Parts: sequence; C-alpha cells; structure tokens
Amino acid sequence: MHTAPISLTRLQSLAQVLCLGLSLALAGCGGGSGGDGGAGQPPPPPPPPPPPVVISKAEAFRFLNQATFGATEAEAARLQALGIEPWIDEQLALPASLQLPLIQGLPPVQFPFELNDDRVDIWFRHAIGAPDQLRQRVAFALSEIMVVSQLGALNNGPWALADYYDMLARNAFGNFRTLMEDVTLHPAMGVYLSMLGNQKPDPDRNIRPDENYARELMQLFTIGLVELEPDGTVRVDAFGEPIPTYDQPIIEGFAHVFTGWHFAGAPSFLLARPTPQNQVQPMQLYPAFHDTGPKQLLNGVTLPSGQSGEQDLAAALDNIFTHPNVGPFIATRLIQRLVTSNPSPGYIERVAATFDNNGAGTRGDLGAVVKAILLDPEARPTVGMDTDGKLKEPLLRVTQLWRAYDGVAANGSYAIGGAYIIFGQGPLQSPSVFNFFSPFYAPPGEIKNRGLVAPELEIATEFQNTFLTNLFALFTFVQNQQNPNLREDQIAIDLAEELSAAGDPDALIDRVAGKLLGGEMSPTLRAEIAGMLAQIPASQGLARAAEAVYLTVTSPEYAYQR
Amino acid sequence: MTRINRRDFLRGAGAGALLGAYPLLHTVAAHAQFTDYRALVCVFMFGGNDSWNMVVPRSQAEYDVYAASRQNLAIDRDSLLPIAPLTGDGVDYGLHPAMSGLQSLFDSGRAAFVANVGPLIEPTTLEQYQSGSVILPPQLFSHNDQQDQWFSLKGRAQTKTGWAGRIADLIRAEVSGQQLPTNASLFGASLFQAGDDTVAYVMGPGGPIAFEGFADSGFGLAQRQAFERIIGADYGSIYERAFAAVQQRAVSTADLVTAAIESAPALSTPFPASQLGQQLETVARLIAVRERLGMERQIFFVATGGFDTHDDQNELQPGLLGGVSDAMKAFYDATVELSVADSVTTFTQSDFGRTLTSNGDGTDHAWGGIQVVTGDAVMGREIYGRYPLLAIGGPEDVGGGRFIPSTSSDQFAATLARWFGIPDGDLASVAPHIDNFAQRDLGFLV
Repeated sequence: MHTAPISLTRLQSLAQVLCLGLSLALAGCGGGSGGDGGAGQPPPPPPPPPPPVVISKAEAFRFLNQATFGATEAEAARLQALGIEPWIDEQLALPASLQLPLIQGLPPVQFPFELNDDRVDIWFRHAIGAPDQLRQRVAFALSEIMVVSQLGALNNGPWALADYYDMLARNAFGNFRTLMEDVTLHPAMGVYLSMLGNQKPDPDRNIRPDENYARELMQLFTIGLVELEPDGTVRVDAFGEPIPTYDQPIIEGFAHVFTGWHFAGAPSFLLARPTPQNQVQPMQLYPAFHDTGPKQLLNGVTLPSGQSGEQDLAAALDNIFTHPNVGPFIATRLIQRLVTSNPSPGYIERVAATFDNNGAGTRGDLGAVVKAILLDPEARPTVGMDTDGKLKEPLLRVTQLWRAYDGVAANGSYAIGGAYIIFGQGPLQSPSVFNFFSPFYAPPGEIKNRGLVAPELEIATEFQNTFLTNLFALFTFVQNQQNPNLREDQIAIDLAEELSAAGDPDALIDRVAGKLLGGEMSPTLRAEIAGMLAQIPASQGLARAAEAVYLTVTSPEYAYQR
Repeated sequence: MTRINRRDFLRGAGAGALLGAYPLLHTVAAHAQFTDYRALVCVFMFGGNDSWNMVVPRSQAEYDVYAASRQNLAIDRDSLLPIAPLTGDGVDYGLHPAMSGLQSLFDSGRAAFVANVGPLIEPTTLEQYQSGSVILPPQLFSHNDQQDQWFSLKGRAQTKTGWAGRIADLIRAEVSGQQLPTNASLFGASLFQAGDDTVAYVMGPGGPIAFEGFADSGFGLAQRQAFERIIGADYGSIYERAFAAVQQRAVSTADLVTAAIESAPALSTPFPASQLGQQLETVARLIAVRERLGMERQIFFVATGGFDTHDDQNELQPGLLGGVSDAMKAFYDATVELSVADSVTTFTQSDFGRTLTSNGDGTDHAWGGIQVVTGDAVMGREIYGRYPLLAIGGPEDVGGGRFIPSTSSDQFAATLARWFGIPDGDLASVAPHIDNFAQRDLGFLV
C-alpha cells in the first residue's frame, strides 16, 4: 500500500493556521557586535578586467539572484545573449514600478489599515513580475537599511508607506544626498522616528528636542558608530580602541536641526494631522517651532545661530554626506544585501571609491555604486571561497520559487499581507529600525569562531526554518495550478512541465534543477530526490513533481545565494 | 581536574557536536552535581523601558521633584499603587497604576526591584564621567549596543557570547543528561544565550512546531530520512553549513519537545492573550515537563517590544507596563500551580532607562533604570540598590536626566548566576567586571 506522499488535510490545516496568524511582537533586534563585517584580509590590488567570456547558465543564475528577486531560465537566456554590463545598463534606464498609484486606484476603505494587505500584494506583484527588477531589488535593500515599518503608528499610513517605498525605488540609482534628504523629509520616516512634530526646546517645561531621528540617521543610515578606513575596517586609536564617529552633544546638535517639521499644508504646527494627501508630501517647516541657536555637527563643524530650518537641514545633511565613512559604510551594507555577507576589504574599498567619485567627479552616485558592486571580480569570482555569497532571506527564497514557477493566484493577487508573520519578514514590516537582522550577526559555531558574519542567519532559527519548510510543503504539494480545489486567492505554482516529465524521474529532476539551481544540483540532492520519486507510483505524477520541487526549495543549496 | 581544563577538553572534543544534533551530548558522562531543578526566565523589554514611571516616589517632597522633572509625563500621585518595602530608605514608593499584578507580588514578598541598575565597567561618579577618568561601556544610549551590554556584559571587550550562554558553557558537564540545551528562546536568536560551547534552542512563542509530512513509518519516514540526509551532507559554503546545522537541530528536537508538551496536563492558571503571555505560558508548559526531558537547569528568553517611547508615552505606557505586570503575575501563579515557585526566578532586562526630561510627548535614550525580580527564592518586598532623587542636574545626571547607574548589570547577573549554581570562583566568567565592585551579590535571592 502506498501512503499518500503528504497529508493534504494537515497542510490545509496549516493554511488555516496561517490565516489565523501567529503573533510576532514589535521589538528591537539583538545580536551584532561593535565591529565591522569585513573579512580582515589585506586588500588585493584591483585585478585587470576579465576578458569577454561566454556566461554559463550557472553564472547567469548567480548574477540574477544578486540583481533580481530570483533567477529564471528565461532571464538567464536573455542575460547570456546580452552580456552582464548591457543588462545592467538596460535596467538602470528603466523607470520605477510604483506602488502609490495602484493604492490610490483602489476603492475607498473605511479604515486606512485595510490597505496594508494591498500594499504587500503590490510589493509581491512587482517582485515577481515588474520589469525594473534591479531597481526593485535595490529599493528592497535600501528598505532594510533606511527602515520604516508598518508595525507601529504607520499601520494607519498605507499611502505613506507605499510612497516611501516608491521614493526608495526612484532614488535607487540616483544620488545618495538626494536620497538622504528625501528620506529625512518623508512623513513615513517623520512618523516612524518621531522627527515629525519635533520642536525647539522649552526649558521651562524640561522639554528638549527628540533625538530619535538624529541618532539613527547617523548610526544606521549613513556613517555608523565608529570611524572606518576606506576599506571598511574599523579605525583604532593609539590604545587600539575604535574611534566613535560622534558623541552625545553632536546627537543633540542634529536633534536641534531636525526641529519644526510637520505634515505639510496644515493651518499650524500644532494643528497638523495626517491625511491621505499630506502622507505623501515632504514634511513642511513651521519656522516658529525650529530652534535657531548654534548646533554642533560632525568633524568640528558648528552651525551658526539664526539660520532658517531649511538652511540648517541642508547644511546638516551635507555635513553627514561628506563624512568619509559614508562610502565604506553604504558600500558594505549594499554589498551585504546584494552579493555577500563577508566582502573583503578590497571589495569594499573599490565600491567605496566609486561612491566617492563615479569617474565623472560626482560623489554619491548610487547607480554607479550598484554597477560597481555587481561587476566587481569578487561578485563574479572564478575560483570559489567558502565565504562567497550569502544566505537568501526568506522573502527571496519565496519570490525566486514564484518567479521560476509562475506562482500567482487565479485572481492575479498575492494575498499575503501578514508576510512578516509567516516568513519572519515582510516588505516594510520590520520589528524595529534595526531591520529583521543585524549586519553584524554571527551565528554560534564556525562563522562566529572565524570572525565572520551571516546577517540572514539571525532569522533562520529552528522555529522560522521549520515554519518556512512547512510553507514550502504547502506551496508545492497543495498550492499548484494543477490542483483543481484551490480558492481563487491562493497563490499557486505551475507544475505543468514537471508533470509532463514525471514519468522519467531523471528528466523531472533535470527540469527542477534547471529552473531553481541553474542546472547545478549536488549529487546528494539528486540522489535523494530520485530515491523519493521511486517511492511514488508513476501514476501520481503531480506528487512526483511536487516532491522534486519541495526537496529542492527546502535544501541548503537553494537557501544559499552563491 | 580544574574547570578550565575540563572546559578546554570539552571544547576540543565537542567541536563537532556544536553544530550537530544535541543527542551527541549524551555521550558525555553525567556528573549529577545538581540535586535540584532551577530555572531563570529573562523577560526582555525591547526599546528601553521608561522605568522612572514604573516605580515612582510617593512621598510628597520626592514626588514634587519627580513631577517637576517629568512635567507632562509625570504619573498622577493619587493614581500610584502604593508599595511598602520592608527596609525603607525614608521615601514611600508606588507603582504605575497599570501594574496591580506586580503590586500584589511585591506585597506578598514574591517580587523585588533593583533600582538604577545598568551597564558599568567600574563604579562611576559624575565627576569621573565628566573628566573622562573612568572606563565606560562604549556607545552609551544606543539601542543595539546597550542591548548587547545587557546580553553579554562585555564592556569594551569584543566578546561574542552572552552571560546566559557562558553559564550554559560552565555547567555543560553537570547537565549532560539534559535532552534540551540549557538555553531556550521563545523570541528568536539572541546574543544573551550564545555560548562558546553551547547554543540555544529557538522555539516559537507557542513552542516548537513539527515538520509537515514527516512520520515514524511509511512514506513520512522516508521523507524525513531523505530530508535528514540532505541537511546532513557536506556543504562547501559557511552559509549552507550554518543553515543545515539549524535544520538538523530543528528536526532532531521538534518531535521530542512537542510530544513532551502534549503529554503535560493543561495549566489551569489563565494567561493574558498577549505575545508575552503566550511565551510565558509556553515556558510554564516546558517547565511542567522538565523531568521527562531530563532538565536540571534552564534559562528561558522571552521578550516584548514597543518600549522605545519617543512619542505618545502617556498613551502607550499603561499597555506596555500593564502587559508586563499581568504576564509576570500569571507566570508566577503558574509556577505555584506547578509547585516550582521556589525553583524559578524571573527577571527583567531592557536596553536602558530613559531621560527624565521630555521631548514633548515622549522620552529619549538614557542609561540606568529599574529591573524586576520575581519568584519564591526572591527576598521580596524590597528595593535593592539605591533609588535616586529624580532631579534634573542631580549628582547622577549626565545631562537631560540620564542617570549613571549606581548598581551594575554585572552585579545583577552575578546574583542571578550564583543562585543558579555558579560557584563564586566562576562568577567572573559570567560577569567579567564583578571584581570591580565591592558587592558581588546584591542579596535579592536566597
């Protein structure tokens, strides 16, 4: 007697559990050390540009998993025909796919938070199908660096969240200084880090400016806590101690800069209230609430008294933007999001140099930075090291499956608004401004002992991994387009090709390996899938197809981004 | 054989076991040095709890100073829940009005507070702080750095272990019969529980979950075995190896723990329907099956967030503090129901205390704060350490009402560790700066 390969009833009950939702709390993230994530090797000299080579399918997959929401065979074939740099140039020229116009086009709702699920739906539609894949992937990376989150007061600001994401997408290849200003004045950030409504001191009432945005803008978005060498390694003083980039008086200086801003268009600072319109407009200065005293900034700069709020803001952002940390800081963060957890100092230094000067004398050109990250020899290695690459975060494991297998619901939607609950992360759904995981997280064992990091491992806990493994069972065995019993809002993958190959296990495995691993499947995984397929009768072709996909997407080699 | 040598030996011998499945630990001979069961439960309040509004002076003179500092963020004096410490400091105190659960635990001697405690490397005065003549923890007032200080007590060292992780390392041989690691988290991976030789087991808020489709026979068994062989294979990258190690621990432990929990009778103590309530209820259910799992020493990590009250503090604080109070009271009641109230000590930690001054409708990051300890082993109905006068510009204020701690996190942790069974000679391994402080044990545990 053959047991059913997997219990549909149990998986359907899992689906019900997901609908009920587990609760994950709002919290800061732990982990991380004060150090930086560099691999600690001396910087190799920049190697000569490689000769033009034919891009293998596996290399095309590696690149596309860095530059998109998941490699597909079709895009790999385009890339092979086009070449990597032309592909990047083509992407750099594409306009941003936007969320806000789609949100604004929806029927009215009674409560704003009802639109959050639509915002996440749109995020998945863009991740799976938008043509501007590189721009969207970089926007996602930026959303994990300059974090705002739906979890908290912004639960009632779906327009602000959609527009914030659009702002990141628009600036993804623009200038970092513009990005800094757009982030600073965006009402989503204003609400999230409480710069909105921040007012000048009132000593009689023991009120001083809010330090929240001042602190995180420097610590998390631009320069970090300690001075960096151009290659990202931490500078130390004569006693071997890291050198802080700022102290409390500087925090207070910036806190005074960021006073007087509130929702735009209000009759007064004190009467400003959120509306669907002012949530998507830059914050406005209300001069009577701006502090006009002198303000201590970075690098010994002090702003004079009597400046306007706009003058203070521009000077303060310039002060940060010109700090020498920004290049190595943002290079490290973006490399970690796109390519590898442990870039060498040389890799960081090359990208930081591009940040400092794009070749035409411009500082902060993010398009040039992204291109430098993806074209660097360390991103395109010919000899592998065991520190290359990174773990894929849960959303990227899921989007790659759905891109490779045309995963979508019959009604065209991705009704997965509680993404953070089931994947441990969701678009603009971080538990705190510290993102889902720390850039410094080092899991116990080999990685910690070698002084390396693996940020994505922080949320790859026993619990979250098991949950995701079970989700993949649901997304393969149950939610496939060959299952006639699905609701129209259940996301389903297309197993038609695998079904037609199911009579020939080797051919079936080749199809799955081709679609998900660029054709490079380990002998162990291949043998184990073959062993399981042999236990499923040929008459159950769909079960065979789902089995092969399930064991592949839950394997360590799929979770790994080369 | 000294402990150092034994640890070094275990580190060498256990190098392979660290990343593998826990059952390998069973091959180490049991030392059976513990004759009782003890558990520590850490309740972490992420974001930095504004504890100056948690325990508040009620005596008129001290209250007036507090109210003048706090202005629009002061709790109304008449609404404070009175508490009466056995040993007074001449000032009456009260709790935030949402904390009736903690008030009843305090009054019955089951709870204590530790006042103005926080990360320090050595005793620190304002003069020393201002003149730079004292070694300070780095990056004061920064969330993640100060969380890490509470988790690790690392001071200025580059330590990558937490103090709960180091406790687990120290007692590893003594608890070799345990089927679960000493450390378990219901709120994700944290530095607090990272050891050199031990790792924490991370569950969900409701406990572990089983793998769908795995079974003990038939196709489900084959599926499980194929899955185990895939995650047990050799991998070429550090990321695959680390990911596979987590999966191995998940597969080898989930069934064990879920079966144990399902075997336990239901608790009659009701828990609040909050995230923290759910986590603490799961901890109680795990403690209920401690004998079945062979557990002798356990450290649980649970947490709740939202304490970073830069905005809307008056609106948010009742829910935040009430939530902690209700959940800790329910958990204490459950330990009574399980007859382990004297074996389970619960304590809070948080990023930092907050400024006495206001930013208009909230507070900013500061330093020292107040922590809670509950359980029957607690010498309760006391406020340990020194509760300062809450004056702006007072002798502990480094600016804006940021208070220099008068008691160190090392002293707090060492007191808990000693009760847990760590001998005095090993306390410095847990709390590296404890020798800088005259009082090695704050005395709040029997």
